[in-house]
Amino acid sequence: MKYRQIALGTVTGLMLLLCAQSRAQESPIYTRWENFTSANGMPDDKVFQAAVDGKRVWAGTENGLVLIEKGKVQKVYKPEDGLANRVVTGIAVDSASGDVWLATFGGLSRLSGGEFKNYKNLSSGLANDIVYAVAVQGEFVWAATTAGISRLNTRTGEWAIFSEKNAPMHEPWSYGIAVTDKKVYFAVWGGGLLEYDIAGGWWKPYNDPDGEMEIVLFQNQGLLHDIVSNVAYNPQTNMVWASTYFGLSGYDGHNWHNYLSTDSALASDFINAVQSRGDGVWACTDKGLSYLNFKTGEWITYRSAEKGSGGEIVITTADKKVEHRQSNTTLAHNYVLNMTFQGEDIWVATAKGLSHGMREPNHQSNKEGNRNEHKSASR
Amino acid sequence: MSKATWPQMLRVMAGVLVTALAAGWVADGGELQAGTRKADAGYLTPVEAKFSVDGTRLYVVCEDADALLVVDVRTKKVVQRVAVGHKPKDVAQSPSGQRLYVSNEWSDNVTEIDAKTLQVTRTIPAGWGPIGLTTERSGKTLYVANSIGNDVSVIELATGAEKKRLASWRSPHNVLLSRDGRYVFVSNMLGHLGPWDQAPVSELTVIDAEKQIVAQRIQVPGVIELRHVAEGPAAEGDDLIIPFLRPKNLNPLIQVSNGWILTHGILVLHPSRAAKGGYEVAQVLLDDIDAYYAGANGVAFTPDGSRVLVTASEANVVSVIDSVKLKQRIKAVPAEQLANRLDSAATLILKRLETGANPTAVAVSRRGDRAYVVNRLDDSLTVVNLTSTRVEGRIDLGGPKEESTLRKGEKLFHSAKFCFQGQFACVTCHPDNHIDGVSWNLETPELGKDRVANRTLRGIAETAPYKWNGHNPDLETQCGPRIAKFLFHSEGFDKEQLADLVAFIKSIPIPPNRHLAADGQLTLSQERGKNIFFQKNCDNCHPPATHYTALRSFDVGTANKYDTSGMFDVPQLDRIYEKPPYLHNGEALTLEEIWTVFNNEDKHGVTSDMTKEQLNDLIEFLKTL
Repeated sequence: MKYRQIALGTVTGLMLLLCAQSRAQESPIYTRWENFTSANGMPDDKVFQAAVDGKRVWAGTENGLVLIEKGKVQKVYKPEDGLANRVVTGIAVDSASGDVWLATFGGLSRLSGGEFKNYKNLSSGLANDIVYAVAVQGEFVWAATTAGISRLNTRTGEWAIFSEKNAPMHEPWSYGIAVTDKKVYFAVWGGGLLEYDIAGGWWKPYNDPDGEMEIVLFQNQGLLHDIVSNVAYNPQTNMVWASTYFGLSGYDGHNWHNYLSTDSALASDFINAVQSRGDGVWACTDKGLSYLNFKTGEWITYRSAEKGSGGEIVITTADKKVEHRQSNTTLAHNYVLNMTFQGEDIWVATAKGLSHGMREPNHQSNKEGNRNEHKSASR
Repeated sequence: MSKATWPQMLRVMAGVLVTALAAGWVADGGELQAGTRKADAGYLTPVEAKFSVDGTRLYVVCEDADALLVVDVRTKKVVQRVAVGHKPKDVAQSPSGQRLYVSNEWSDNVTEIDAKTLQVTRTIPAGWGPIGLTTERSGKTLYVANSIGNDVSVIELATGAEKKRLASWRSPHNVLLSRDGRYVFVSNMLGHLGPWDQAPVSELTVIDAEKQIVAQRIQVPGVIELRHVAEGPAAEGDDLIIPFLRPKNLNPLIQVSNGWILTHGILVLHPSRAAKGGYEVAQVLLDDIDAYYAGANGVAFTPDGSRVLVTASEANVVSVIDSVKLKQRIKAVPAEQLANRLDSAATLILKRLETGANPTAVAVSRRGDRAYVVNRLDDSLTVVNLTSTRVEGRIDLGGPKEESTLRKGEKLFHSAKFCFQGQFACVTCHPDNHIDGVSWNLETPELGKDRVANRTLRGIAETAPYKWNGHNPDLETQCGPRIAKFLFHSEGFDKEQLADLVAFIKSIPIPPNRHLAADGQLTLSQERGKNIFFQKNCDNCHPPATHYTALRSFDVGTANKYDTSGMFDVPQLDRIYEKPPYLHNGEALTLEEIWTVFNNEDKHGVTSDMTKEQLNDLIEFLKTL
């Protein structure tokens, strides 16, 4: 009886494990790409970030803010429309108010009800007009600037600045922000990864433990490098991920999980941004978009084929088996600056356009509008 | 124990003094003075009236009585008085009519009342300075316009919790739920903070009631003081009508004797056929060519939409408009002309009916046979028979029968009859005894010369001299011969009237401070800012003991090429956060710009060595004053 229970338990356990592995192994394969470039309505090819707002997608470019809906560029906003600056580096959609906050190279903009309100260094408490990222957390708006992190309380109008003067930063140049209910994480150039506890008002810095700029002495000892280009928080796994120009770092609250191109299938150690949800981690590198299934260790990298107009999909399993696939369409460019999710689809900001990635036809796609009507820009 | 140096001790003493003053001023300015006025007079001061869902009652909000009155429409008697919060401004009902919600501007909350028992059931926190409010169709959500917070609270009524705040623009006032329940319209009293030498632009904020987000911001150029919002019946095209003030603030105000300096009218927003969700906006003046109807404020349609009633709160008149003729007029005259045409009223006004003093709001019965005009400074309602289009009677709400000095003065403050052709009253440019948010070319006849920003009248009793140049030693000079000669172009007030008016202005209290904690304790940022304030010797010109003004003029380098003199009266700093734009001409749109843009020579304090963090702290402290 006892042995039967153990056997049954073992079989059940194995089945659950297999099911779990089966689910975990189901990595998304994006084989169809629609690209938005200056050839089909974008004001500039260089796209810094995309943000999903229900059925709409906002894109921040080097020459304005773009609204994409129903598979088309619907509207372009420029400084003459009230935008603080033409270079839009970051976007945050406030799901509560519907307002869209924009990080620009000329301050912070709020787009609300079709009208802009701008917050600049000279006319508000914003630390600096060069703003790389913006995030909304309840009534607070956080902005990463070259002179530190600014926080606006939208109810009281109070501004706070966090910099090397009052936070554990080596220098104030901040690149990225990730918010959770209780914490805010910051990517700081040369300052590592910073964690801010909202209730307690205290800071916890994460730095490269070996302090070496060019080498990694112990791979999972801590943050890979102090030059952190961006940060993402995954609420499903409670992990925070930091992109650096020297590899990818993840922290689960106890242990670090670091990845280099030399010992993993990461496309490049030069990573501009990272995003994560479910089991997946997406590294936006200068040599393509790399996906890591954190649970299975499988990697998938998307990049344009060296020859021809199609794309190359490189699938590397945990046991290092490599499979190369081809796709007829591909990313607008291999220099990837950021990405975001829209249902099962992804939107990828690159140096030469915005790419809308869709999964295999047997997978459900969140694609909006009539695909046949849209003329995708060819690479 | 270490010995403190004299400067250290002085700094500590100054710190204690400023904290005490800051804390004390809340009580003094916010509660005591307002209470004094009420104790002095006991007036009701009704500001708003809404019909009950069944049409048998009128709910009348009385701001000086902190009360909601219930009037039986049939007997024309006040049947109940319900105590609410401080300075109530509006009332809304649940769709069933079972619950009433009263906004309390100075309590920053909403009083919920059971409409059957007329018992207060709970108090719901809102934002800063709640005024207009409405429930939506399901009755689950309450929208409250916060006039000081410049936002709209979205409150879940099941829990009384605020779900979110939506940004409005400046001083959101009145709120209306569209008949189809899809939108909440929020009118904004003050225009955008924009270039000081440009005409103002105002905004109607449109909230999507389903998504609870701001769907649209309708920008209206050239007007300010958007007030009540009324929606016509669907059969008449769902037009929205909103009263406004159209100031020609770029023209020298001294030209008032030529007419057409301050005009008054209505916005007519017609749903656009071309743009889904958009509106065609027309501005129609309700003034006559040689007689103005200042203070366009309350508005209501008759149920069939055939007529629109608009109160002129500074002319003591309600105008009855023929809707068909209004439409014809809009169609006949191009929009860019219509906004400035003074011959519209003659084509569309059916009648001008005299009301009591300071008619602020109007409500039309469900049958459409009668309208009730709220006479704010008469404690009464004027009953208009809409069949005969005549005033049928008056409902006395029960205020004192004798007029106190302050009440006489307040009536004078709200009366446009002293101005040439009735173009404006004191309150026209000082709505809510405060500012209109625009800069004026006041006394200098040359176009663009000596432009000055409007200054608040709240708490100015002890801040003489007056005017930006400090030339008027007292309010008697300011409000007497100066106003008569330069502004009203009339004989002005006689001696007794002037005394009453000045007494009223001196009684205008300062509202509560929203940036200072109830116990007066400063935040760390405010504390740091306070230290900077004294370290930088800001108190030399802004001493705490006299409302942060030295009561004299200084040249702090803020004059520009259009100014005759660089000497300007030091403004008091009480509730400075409520007074943008800043500096004498309103060039500084934010407090930051005073130092970041307009203090390049360090004459307005040596501030060029300050860090951004220090400036932020200083501003946080200034907001506590």
